[in-house]
Amino acid sequence: MNDVVIIGNGPAAHRLAERLRHHGHEAGLTLLGEEPEPAYHRTLLPHYAAGSLARPSLHLPPVPGARVHLGTVVTAIDRERQRVYAYRHGIETVHRYDTLVLATGARPDVPDVPGLREPGGGPAPGVTTLRTTADCDRMNGGSVVVLGGEPLGVEAASALAARGNGVTLVCPGAHPLHDRVDDVCGGMLTARLEAAGVTVLGAATAVRRTPGHLELSDGTTLSADTVVLCAGVTPDTRLARAAGLDVGAGIVVDDRLRTSDPSIHALGDCAQFDGQTLIGISGAHEQADTLARILTGRPAVHRRVPRILRVRSRAADLSCIGSPADFDRPGTRQITLTDRTRLRYARVAVRDEHVTAAVLFGVPQAIATIGMLHRSDRRLPGDLLGLLLDLPPRPASDSAGASADPVVCLCNHVTRQRLHRAWQDGARTVPALASGTRATTGCGGCGQAVEELCGQWARGTRDLVEETCPALSS
Amino acid sequence: MPRTLVVIGHGMVGHRLAERLLALDTEAAWRVVILAEEPDPAYDRVGLSSYLDGKSKPDLILAGPDFLNDPRVDLRLSCPAVAADRTTRTVGTADGDLIPYDALVLATGSRPFVPPVPGHDRAGCFVYRTFDDLDAIRAAARPGRPGVVIGGGLLGLEAANALRLLGMRAHVVETAPHLMPAQLDPGAARVLHHHVTDLGLRLHLGTATASVDGYPDGSVSGVTLGDGTVVEADVVVFAAGIRPRDELATVLALERGERGGFAVSDRCRTADPHVWAVGECASVEGRCHGLVAPGYRMAESVARQLLGQKVEPFDGTDPTTTLKLMGVNVATFGATRHGEDGAVEAVFSEGTARYAKVLLGPDTGEILGGILAGHTGSPMALAPFLGTRPPADLERLLLPGRPA
Repeated sequence: MNDVVIIGNGPAAHRLAERLRHHGHEAGLTLLGEEPEPAYHRTLLPHYAAGSLARPSLHLPPVPGARVHLGTVVTAIDRERQRVYAYRHGIETVHRYDTLVLATGARPDVPDVPGLREPGGGPAPGVTTLRTTADCDRMNGGSVVVLGGEPLGVEAASALAARGNGVTLVCPGAHPLHDRVDDVCGGMLTARLEAAGVTVLGAATAVRRTPGHLELSDGTTLSADTVVLCAGVTPDTRLARAAGLDVGAGIVVDDRLRTSDPSIHALGDCAQFDGQTLIGISGAHEQADTLARILTGRPAVHRRVPRILRVRSRAADLSCIGSPADFDRPGTRQITLTDRTRLRYARVAVRDEHVTAAVLFGVPQAIATIGMLHRSDRRLPGDLLGLLLDLPPRPASDSAGASADPVVCLCNHVTRQRLHRAWQDGARTVPALASGTRATTGCGGCGQAVEELCGQWARGTRDLVEETCPALSS
Repeated sequence: MPRTLVVIGHGMVGHRLAERLLALDTEAAWRVVILAEEPDPAYDRVGLSSYLDGKSKPDLILAGPDFLNDPRVDLRLSCPAVAADRTTRTVGTADGDLIPYDALVLATGSRPFVPPVPGHDRAGCFVYRTFDDLDAIRAAARPGRPGVVIGGGLLGLEAANALRLLGMRAHVVETAPHLMPAQLDPGAARVLHHHVTDLGLRLHLGTATASVDGYPDGSVSGVTLGDGTVVEADVVVFAAGIRPRDELATVLALERGERGGFAVSDRCRTADPHVWAVGECASVEGRCHGLVAPGYRMAESVARQLLGQKVEPFDGTDPTTTLKLMGVNVATFGATRHGEDGAVEAVFSEGTARYAKVLLGPDTGEILGGILAGHTGSPMALAPFLGTRPPADLERLLLPGRPA
């Protein structure tokens, strides 16, 4: 028997349980969730906080045959006896495992700013993080200040503004998502947020909070009935560390998602693979799929996936594939699109016709298509510009309605046709064409073009000679 | 009896005007007197640095024997115009000659602008415009020693290349944050920077020249930059722009443009129907044009008007330009600046090897213009698509083949 116990009941844990059943895991399957709430879509929390989604619609479907213990706080792991100790409603429970999976997630950071923290370290009344449904229930009406320029902060600010709150987004960088997007894209994101009713304050941090007010580093004081902390998260490694497992920034796992104890695996926000933590929801789902295959005896290894960051909100539709450093790798071609009128931005790094990194803003069709091509490791279309700009199909250059007789030498207005006539009349070199037509005798900039044409026509005759009379060609 | 055209100035544009007039004038209605300030006939000033790269004066001189031997041409070298009178329709030369004219064309060109920094007139300071300037630079150059070019535009890069060809270690000082600010955007300039730095040029960008410093004997020892950097130099070349040669405007009592130059209409006419101006010295509806292509268009226009032909007004929009700077191609076509019209900007690039920016109309997506740098497709391949939607294979046109 291979009884699996999963510590955690978040989206990664839920996906793993569902996939284990899918792949035919018949033995025991137990999930220990700290929250009293059944598993839910954490990515939708900003909408729940804003009141646009009711609580039941957040819930993930129950996994048949899985025993889910809610409100269960794990206190220790006994690796020798393969047991997990927990408390539920003040009563200690013990769970035996053959395989243990840590899906403890991450804990939201509460900045050490006077007035934000309770003496115990948690958020003070009127202050909340945004990681659980319980957090959302701490929100008051009135004015809201969101701290943090990361995707969660942007989504929360946008959702709360849609509810009608006065919302201010305070971010440490010059604009939201400062580590991920450049100033042009950040400016467009800010403009969209402002248009949606969010006041964006860049290059600012909180220095002090008193009930109803938040004082910033630049000296301004904001009215703040609720302060929402979206200032980042830290992988929850406490149990793993106490159990003596290898822990870096996260719980260290190998390409079979194994910790330093072969009976214990880890995945999702709490895990660290190849030096990387916090891989986002799509990365967590991939890990869950891989681990389910491994635990049911199928061949699978976990590979490092480029980090994909997605911001979905009414105000801003943004996707980042890879990291900013991926744009500067040698052998990479880049396409950058800036539409300041319609607030569209795209920057795509291409290598061997595959996308290696991208920042896409305000281009929903391209976000969907490029994301799909990236996930399935498929080639980009030849007309990437058309995809990014959502242009209708257009003819290629050789058939487009371009001028049939382009000007080659602009200084002297010599057209291609005129050059060709001179060539046919016997001017077969660049100097001969120059004296016959004056092309290249102005600024000289068309020298290369005339040389190319000359060679092209010379090859044309040679090809013709070869075709009609092979003996003549050498 | 033919009428007399006096052309003051025998630069590229003045020469083109005379040449075109003679070619078009099948009735021999005109004879042409050309007053040249320099001792040589018109030469290819655009290719001037090749004078230091194996080419001789005859290689660069534009006036061939056909032109020089044409009986209708009276070319007077080293004979600048010093006086002129519109009421008597005469021009006075430095030789003391008084030449009557039926038509007068001012083609005096420009003079280099030397910023008034302390020490700008020390021995070892030069400008870069004429054969004489290059002969002087050649005489002063010492291989292996540093030289400084002040100005990072087209002219400055030509001058820096000249110093390099003379074996000197060339520095370029440019007040803008990148080279060729008039033509290029930062992305295209990045390609240029990478390439010229590889060739050994040292760039000092975003800083002005505070002073030209000297040894006790007064000769140049180097320059001090606005940021305090001291650059050692045996030779300093000023290439910080040009100013139109419009001194004769006072003598002739003609209007100047707001920023200098002879004020002319879009047909290159001054207020006097007998007097015209072409090339860099002409302020066409308030704007001077520093490149040869618009100058040639002006020359063509005036030559035809002198023969009574109808001409289109001068098109002052930025022409397509292609330049080769120390082996790097840079080109612009159509509109290259976006702004109030809110164009969509699409940039295709490959590291610092090549860069192509295309501006597209905000509504219909038609190509408005662009900037190319490095091993890109030819602007000639793109020019036909101006005003049309980009072809499906635009990227291939801009960045053909594989990177070099």
